[in-house]
Amino acid sequence: MAQEVLLNVENLVVSFDTDRGKITPVNGVSFQVKRGKTLAIVGESGCGKSVTSLSIMGLIPGANGKIEGGAIEYDGQDLLKFSGTQMRKLRGDKIAMIFQEPMTALNPVYTIGNQIMEVYKLHREMSKKEAFDHALAMLEKVKIPDPKQRMREYPHQLSGGMRQRVMIAMSLACNPDVLIADEPTTALDVTIQAQVLDLMKDLQTDLGTSVIFITHDLGVVAEVADDVVVMYAGDIIERGTVFDIFKDPKHPYTQGLLDSLPKSSDTKNEELQAIKGMVPSLFDLPQGCRFKDRCALAEEACGESSPELEKFSDTHEAACFVTSRNNAA
Amino acid sequence: MSTQVANNSLGRRALQKLLRQKLTVICFVVIIIYLSIALLGALNLLPDFQARVGESYEPPSLSIAKIFGTDIFGRSVLFKLLAGTKTAISIGFLVTSIAVPIGITLGSLAGYYGGKIDGFVVWLFSVIVSVPYLLMVIAISYVLGKGMLSMCIAMGSIGWVGLCRLIRAEFLKHKEREYVLAARLLGANDYNLIFKQILPNVLHLAIITASLQVLGAIKSEVILTYLGVGVQDGSSWGSMISDATGELVNGHWWPLAGVVITMFFIIYALNVVGDALRDALDPKLVD
Ligand SMILES: Nc1ncnc2c1ncn2[C@@H]1O[C@H](COP(=O)(O)OP(=O)(O)OP(=O)(O)O)[C@@H](O)[C@H]1O
Ligand code: SF4
Ligand SMILES: [Mg+2]
Repeated sequence: MAQEVLLNVENLVVSFDTDRGKITPVNGVSFQVKRGKTLAIVGESGCGKSVTSLSIMGLIPGANGKIEGGAIEYDGQDLLKFSGTQMRKLRGDKIAMIFQEPMTALNPVYTIGNQIMEVYKLHREMSKKEAFDHALAMLEKVKIPDPKQRMREYPHQLSGGMRQRVMIAMSLACNPDVLIADEPTTALDVTIQAQVLDLMKDLQTDLGTSVIFITHDLGVVAEVADDVVVMYAGDIIERGTVFDIFKDPKHPYTQGLLDSLPKSSDTKNEELQAIKGMVPSLFDLPQGCRFKDRCALAEEACGESSPELEKFSDTHEAACFVTSRNNAA
Repeated sequence: MSTQVANNSLGRRALQKLLRQKLTVICFVVIIIYLSIALLGALNLLPDFQARVGESYEPPSLSIAKIFGTDIFGRSVLFKLLAGTKTAISIGFLVTSIAVPIGITLGSLAGYYGGKIDGFVVWLFSVIVSVPYLLMVIAISYVLGKGMLSMCIAMGSIGWVGLCRLIRAEFLKHKEREYVLAARLLGANDYNLIFKQILPNVLHLAIITASLQVLGAIKSEVILTYLGVGVQDGSSWGSMISDATGELVNGHWWPLAGVVITMFFIIYALNVVGDALRDALDPKLVD
């Protein structure tokens, strides 16, 4: 059965004008999100994950950002051609996004109930009573205990995990086709993280939402994702199914990320292999492969030109000269 | 974070906080008394301050009309003070109700949109503050003609600057906050973001500034009338102080004493309540 592509990002390039010059934190990124599936975007801090998701939401350009090229197709329409008003109507209705800071993402002066009801006011014609009932139903869906009581409470009365549940309730209120979750559990305790992840999985199955799950934690990816793209300094350097990435990582960076994961089987404190070195500054990118300064396999050729994504199977691609050569041999 | 306060709205919690302090409550009552006097004045229920109640310059004695003595025409100083209270409070409210909406609107738009709109607003208030306050008020009220209304318009059309700056700065901060991004991601439009999301978070500043604005207007009225710009018929604290210069030399101290006492209580009360409001309404300090 062919899987329907709901969201198609094609060669997206985003730049920012800063005091120190122009940077391109998203440099030709392509990926597809299939209906009802989860795509994980993985990468270290600063590699362009949030900029990519804000581009999809139509919130770039901000003050200094610009989409230089590419296309973002949702359900067959190019979102980059949408007007501001068209995009605003899509946001929160068809495409929603939650992000990292559950502690500060709710408005401190309104009750939880009012904030969820506001989403319906923005997107649906309904009476106050109906909005209230829908909001209450959403709180039940995200498994908040005592939802009637919580409706009347203010954000500061809720824990971080509860607030993130409220954020999830708000983002799913209008039953969007796509939910972008930008590190939704990073700020939470480990046990709460697991609960929120479980909740998101359940809701996704329930509602059939497509999810873009952004994280720097490959451990989480294994639990939630169907497909994975790995980003490094604005480029996608590897993509594949979750099986491809975990069983047969091709790119030295992906391998490094996997090696730095704690394995549940080792009980001894075997040293984790963190990738040495730092992400290069966007103001001062190396020539050729952007990973070369940290790469154990780097050769002279790596400094001369940038590797392109190459197919290893129908679903699996990576951008590395050495891997491609070894594979051909 | 207990659930006992769950049913309390932010406003009700702020009020409870206010009432916890005795001094604040007393000052609150003082303000309410002055407001009631002003209300009676507006309804024409105050005794006529123009009527003679005795000889010229009778010192204070134990009858209601003469408790602060009489003035040169034998009019009751107390009745003049009451009329002055009505004038002062009306001026305070009139000025505030001109300045606060302008300050809030311009400050919000400038801070939220930035760019050209911000540039214009900043230019506008820079021009206004570059001229000394009193000179500016005097200039405007001369253009509009003497009298209370034009003085209020003059003060109001300048008085928005402080609040505007404050609100603008808060908007600059708040528009970068996560809750604003979250609302935007849910499809909120500019109107919703400005007036429903951000403004309620900074409105406490407007309330505090408004209480200080009333205070400032009352003080300015006194100075302006003393300088001959404001209320001319003698029913204001400013004109009473202005008359007092001549009276003091002749040993007629009671009209001035009356004004000073009357002004002291309302100014003190407004200060205390303004401070208490600041503490009670700041959402950051809500426990
Ligand atoms: N408005 C902006 N102006 C200038 N530079 C920006 C802006 N927004 C993001 N950047 C830069 O773009 C790069 C990518 O940022 P982005 O937020 O997408 O990273 P990220 O992958 O989401 O990282 P994290 O895991 O820390 O959230 C960073 O170097 C950041 O400094
Ligand atoms: S292209 Fe070269 S530097 Fe880049 S990842 Fe491959 S081996 Fe390393
Ligand atoms: Mg990010």
